[in-house]
Amino acid sequence: MKAHDWYVENRSAFVARSLERSEERTFIDHLVRCEECTREVARLERDLAWLPMGVTPVAPAPGLPRRMAGKILDRPSPWRYAIPYGLAAALALLAVGIGVRGRAERARLEAQLAARDQRLGALQDTLSIVQRAQQILQAKISVNGHNGGLVILQEPVSHRWYVVVHGLPPAPSGNVYQFWFITTTGMVRSVEVRGDPEHPAIMTLGMPPVAAPVMGAALTVEPAVNRSTEPRGPMLAHVTF
Amino acid sequence: MPRRPPSPEPHAGPPSEGRAGGSGLTLHGEASLRRRLIARDEQALVELIELASPWMLGLVQSILSDSDEAEEVVLEAFSAAWNAVGSLGDEHETLLPWLFRIARNRAIDRLRRRKRWRLKLARAEAMGALEATRVAPPEVNEAAQPGWHVHQSVHAALAGLPPEQGETVRLAYFHGLTHSEIAARLNIPMGTVKTRLRLAFDKLRVALAPIKDWVL
Repeated sequence: MKAHDWYVENRSAFVARSLERSEERTFIDHLVRCEECTREVARLERDLAWLPMGVTPVAPAPGLPRRMAGKILDRPSPWRYAIPYGLAAALALLAVGIGVRGRAERARLEAQLAARDQRLGALQDTLSIVQRAQQILQAKISVNGHNGGLVILQEPVSHRWYVVVHGLPPAPSGNVYQFWFITTTGMVRSVEVRGDPEHPAIMTLGMPPVAAPVMGAALTVEPAVNRSTEPRGPMLAHVTF
Repeated sequence: MPRRPPSPEPHAGPPSEGRAGGSGLTLHGEASLRRRLIARDEQALVELIELASPWMLGLVQSILSDSDEAEEVVLEAFSAAWNAVGSLGDEHETLLPWLFRIARNRAIDRLRRRKRWRLKLARAEAMGALEATRVAPPEVNEAAQPGWHVHQSVHAALAGLPPEQGETVRLAYFHGLTHSEIAARLNIPMGTVKTRLRLAFDKLRVALAPIKDWVL
């Protein structure tokens, strides 16, 4: 039996996470060096992707989804005030982890730290767009008796927009609300916008990767499939600088 | 429409007439949801939590056997996903399985960190000390649950396994036990555990291959 055979035999156990702790560490170390096992493990995870749905679903307590969302979106980040200390603490944890927890734990902590940094960066970035906005464009939207609006804050330094669409009912069946950039040479498709009269859709958008200057934006109703590069459906709102 | 209390066990017998409700998530819907999450659409996060939390709570609760701790882990998983969804660039990696994997890994990490505490809890339960405080989890309306068709397919695949392989998958995948723990529980050699798991996964790979979408 070759040494590699052990890894081949234990790929399923690794994906199931039924290896013992020391075995799991050994396997992770091996994955760094072995393309074949990395590929096969990824394939196995993909093939078994829906296996978790073998469990019986558990109804969340009333209001739990909203509370969870609130905690995720509003949780004050300690990194905002103490990035250097947090970073130092995380690095110290990582250093300790070298001897104690092994590579899997280190990777998890690094990912956690990176995720927190990413979250903080995203929040600061979004705030900077609002603070530095020099132009605000607004348009009313009226759909099936619902009255809402489109608001765009244009930030001239990084050339990005903070976009709010509010008061939209859900899109008609088989259709989506589509946001477009208006350029000097035509319309450029951007993101789909969710329709929910109770909750505004909020987006941060960079300029489209085209040479032509952007003059404004539009919101249309488009088919959900067979999407074209030009708007075909009815125009709900458009604004230009 | 049948209603029954949820169980940490993999489903024991879905109703044959059960089907996903109209509020499911197709591949197109999932792609749209992913784009909105990447665009930091906060309502998309709420929708994702509403869709996926029943399944994630079921999965994590089956591993941790603790509903409060399960909620904490599911919250952590959604938080991690919200922060890292931009890195989910591979179109082959669908959003929900990715979320399930995050939640399951975190649940197992927590289970293993707290093994000593859990053993104490199990001993206390065995003595009947905690029976009075156990609260029945709320029921879920199964047939109206988005993703119910996927659940039925997975359940059929699990039910198609030989009983000894199904038991091994249940203990390893849905309860987070290690080889040695399963071997001790079933009183069989560890090599047999590994073989059963490998054979079971080979069969499940084939059986689950047709599942490509949240709503079939």
